[in-house]
Amino acid sequence: MTPTGQTEAPAIKRYPFTRTSPLAPAPEFDELRTNDPVTQVELWNGNRAWLATRYEDIRALLHNPNLSSDTMREGFPQANATAASFRGGQRVFARMDPPQHDEHRLMLTADFMVRHVRELRPYLDELIDNFLDDMQASEGPVDLVKVLAQPVPANIITRLLDLPPEDSEFFLERVNTWMSLEVEPAVSAQAGADSLAYFDRLITSRLESTADDLVSRLIRERLLTGQLSRAELQHMLGLILVGGFDTTANMIALGTLTFIQHPDQLQVLLDDPSLLPNAVEELLRYLTVAHHVAYRIAAGPIEIAGRSIREGDGVIAPLMAANYDPEVFPSPHTFDIQRDARGHLAFGYGVHQCLGQALARVELQAVFGKLFQRLPNIRLAVPENELRFKDSLIYGVVALPVTW
Amino acid sequence: MSVKIEVMRERCMGAGNCAEVSPDYFDQDSIDGTVVLLRSDVEPGDEHEVETAADVCPVAAILVKKTAASV
Ligand code: HEM
Ligand code: SF4
Repeated sequence: MTPTGQTEAPAIKRYPFTRTSPLAPAPEFDELRTNDPVTQVELWNGNRAWLATRYEDIRALLHNPNLSSDTMREGFPQANATAASFRGGQRVFARMDPPQHDEHRLMLTADFMVRHVRELRPYLDELIDNFLDDMQASEGPVDLVKVLAQPVPANIITRLLDLPPEDSEFFLERVNTWMSLEVEPAVSAQAGADSLAYFDRLITSRLESTADDLVSRLIRERLLTGQLSRAELQHMLGLILVGGFDTTANMIALGTLTFIQHPDQLQVLLDDPSLLPNAVEELLRYLTVAHHVAYRIAAGPIEIAGRSIREGDGVIAPLMAANYDPEVFPSPHTFDIQRDARGHLAFGYGVHQCLGQALARVELQAVFGKLFQRLPNIRLAVPENELRFKDSLIYGVVALPVTW
Repeated sequence: MSVKIEVMRERCMGAGNCAEVSPDYFDQDSIDGTVVLLRSDVEPGDEHEVETAADVCPVAAILVKKTAASV
């Protein structure tokens, strides 16, 4: 109570919140979920946006047709100036609304469907065995990010798009810079432009291809038929690269770290390997690496949790807040590979839910199956407090030195 | 009680969650990846699995309907 007898309005919080522990969500989410589940926050540029923190509200918002992903709309909320610069001008279906979004996405769904991507498992098992052979041939310690976490998705994507494997170094570096929130906007924009220029050259080189790879098929069936413009195809390929790379790489590195921190859970998994698919779901929930995903703008009125959101309002529906809602995931801060985590929103929700999720599951199941089976005593080679985490669009660890 | 599944294919985004959770009931079309219902009558004991599939569908394209068995 202030001397005048009026309660002071709580100061508006600044978003994004800062984590206080590397792998856990910022504490503000838990506090707001209890006290003010749909609230207003202030962004880097002084703009305000709505912030939801309950699972049901976040799901309802991401499913609401009045919530737009189109970053070209005036007032679209962003995490900071760098995010604003690289998300501003994208013309990819991740940033489109239905019906155009659906049209573009459905051009790719068949290639990413469950049955299809599961056929990659033998290839993946062999790939991972090779990486682990190389690792074990050395004395250690090694940086797991460099020898396993990044090479797995990089190889999968080069295979999917049938690119020369030697190009993956280039991608690693470009995508990392492009998606970083820690570099200057111009540096990030240049890395994005470089990646898109690469795809432009790739399209040129396959214009007459009769081969069966995804890029050649998209050129024949979508570009030459006029369904996609050249720029749209270029951005679409860029989206597959960006969508599938950092996400999976960071899940592998942080997932390994999580098991190292929870030896009891690792033992449960080693005792019963059939828990692996469930363990991967729990890792996806617990880590929610897409921690900056789900910025949206209202394209019409939305009623949620007694609040009235108006057209043009920015809306943030953080997947991480949903995945730590104790109503849905009891004791959410506990990493428990035996819980039912399948309803997690680590891949988002609504029409934009991850296109590559079946592929990501296959990759993660293959990696963690092999890794812990072959190196059950894997451990950190540096004190935990020396690890550096990166604040990118996707959350990750810069390096993970391990020994075994 | 009989339990039936309905899918609204025009909503489907081909995320494949249903086929992941409940492959005996759901598959994906090989041309566009959208949902294919393999059978609509739910066997006793499978209700939970099918309801989970409906729940994890990101676009609510799956309906699980319980009807009192007709006499
Ligand atoms: C563990 C790994 C992954 C995670 C955590 C993840 C997470 C996500 C999330 C949260 C979204 C929703 C974005 C939004 O709502 O704004 C998304 C969309 C997307 N993801 Fe993933 N992803 C992963 C792997 C992949 C892979 C392997 C690919 C493809 C090679 C991929 C391609 C895409 C695409 C194309 C979209 C846009 C879908 C749309 O807008 O309709 N992702 N992902
Ligand atoms: S879960 Fe829903 S969106 Fe995904 S394939 Fe099944 S019906 Fe389609």
